[in-house]
Amino acid sequence: MIKFFTQLGLYFLLLKKVFSKPEKPVLYYKQTINELVNLGFTSVGIIAIISFFMGAVITLQTAYNTENPIYPKYLIGLGCRDSMILEFSSTIAALILAGKVGSNIAAEIGTMRVTEQIDALEIMGVNSASYLILPKIVATLLFNPILTIIAIIVGIFGGWVAGTFSGVMTSENFIYGIQYAFIPYYIVYSLIKTLFFAFIITSVSAFQGYYVNGGSLEVGRASTKAVVYSSVIILLFNVILTQLLLS
Amino acid sequence: MIRVLNLNKSFNGKAVLENISVTFETGKTNLIIGRSGSGKTVLLKSIVGLHEIESGEIWYEDTLFNKLNFAGKKVIRSQMGMLFQGSALFDSLTVEQNVLFPLDMFTDKTPEEKIERINFCLNRVDIINANHLFPSELSGGMKKRVAIARAIALNPKYLFCDEPNSGLDPITAILIDALIKELTEEYSMTTIVNTHDMNSVMEIGEKIIFISEGVKCWEGNKNEILNSDCEILNDFVFANSLAKKLRDSGK
Repeated sequence: MIKFFTQLGLYFLLLKKVFSKPEKPVLYYKQTINELVNLGFTSVGIIAIISFFMGAVITLQTAYNTENPIYPKYLIGLGCRDSMILEFSSTIAALILAGKVGSNIAAEIGTMRVTEQIDALEIMGVNSASYLILPKIVATLLFNPILTIIAIIVGIFGGWVAGTFSGVMTSENFIYGIQYAFIPYYIVYSLIKTLFFAFIITSVSAFQGYYVNGGSLEVGRASTKAVVYSSVIILLFNVILTQLLLS
Repeated sequence: MIRVLNLNKSFNGKAVLENISVTFETGKTNLIIGRSGSGKTVLLKSIVGLHEIESGEIWYEDTLFNKLNFAGKKVIRSQMGMLFQGSALFDSLTVEQNVLFPLDMFTDKTPEEKIERINFCLNRVDIINANHLFPSELSGGMKKRVAIARAIALNPKYLFCDEPNSGLDPITAILIDALIKELTEEYSMTTIVNTHDMNSVMEIGEKIIFISEGVKCWEGNKNEILNSDCEILNDFVFANSLAKKLRDSGK
């Protein structure tokens, strides 16, 4: 328990360092652009592929489990839409990003720690925590909502492709379904969750990397911890945010 | 000049440095020597503020460094350059960008002035036509020289070198030693070098302190080190068979 609170204290102390005034904002701006590419653009492919197939599978599973004629066919489209918006695009995509982006951040910062690159920054008088972590947080906060929107669009498209090409429903039914009883607030809910999850992934992973002590073995462990802890915290916050935002 | 007074440092209750007091002189190459694990790197990192110390004082000229806040330390750190054991070049940046980094961060020079300064520093350490290479494409000796170029980019008053010769062949090691000594004299810096390499000691040791198990056991210069009556120091200095033979033959 003491270890948990020590780690929690260290985490908040790190955040305090991260959010202190940047030395030279223009350099942070450049660094943020780099991180948008490294952490954001490079994730578009994996998110698009997974979303497409998730949308397709959700549609097929809904179709095969609701064959009773009581249920109108357009409900399959509605199910696909709401699943993608409410849960997949934010939570499941965040878990995927925790694996891809989180491990990347922990390994990068951890390697910088064990090879004394962070010490080199500190010796120069640079606030290493802020310089290394703040641009990553800003970049993911800016880009992850875009990934969420991409996941929603591609996932629904995947559902349409699977639904119509497999013949379980017509295109008209699917399109009617995704327009039926649409609640715009669900998009806001999803984007709010995404922002929280982006912050959790980046800050927790950076924390794991920043305090690595040892060599390559410890960097590997930090990378694993980053993914595990981020995922667990995301799931916990998913419950809390859902209760707060949808109740 | 850097003065260390009664410095104590421990990790998890285990004392690593005990009551170290020493003055490192300006314009001289000051050496901290000792066996691996004796506390040399901890002492160096404590002096530059990378480790918090338990007690004692670290003075940079008339400024008590270890009591300063981050902003105060930043002012002193802008006058420091450090060469790390593994060079600590930024992997994702080219040679040129590595040297540019402190200039970008702490100066308002124009791009042309920065390029001029980068080329001057790289030429000074004999790095030619490597501006666009990444650290992974450099040899160990080249990495050290680029790290020195980065360290001197801002004209530091204090230069710290942690095991500058580790992993280098003897000839490259001598070149790095010579470069450190030349730069120290050229810019009248206070240079502190951590080493356990006796060649370095005999080449550049203008002032030397010997540390064993976290305690300062001896202080002197390269001329005095061979005639010391400190037994632990003699075991260290004459550890290899060549040195032993030379001592026994009276040479």
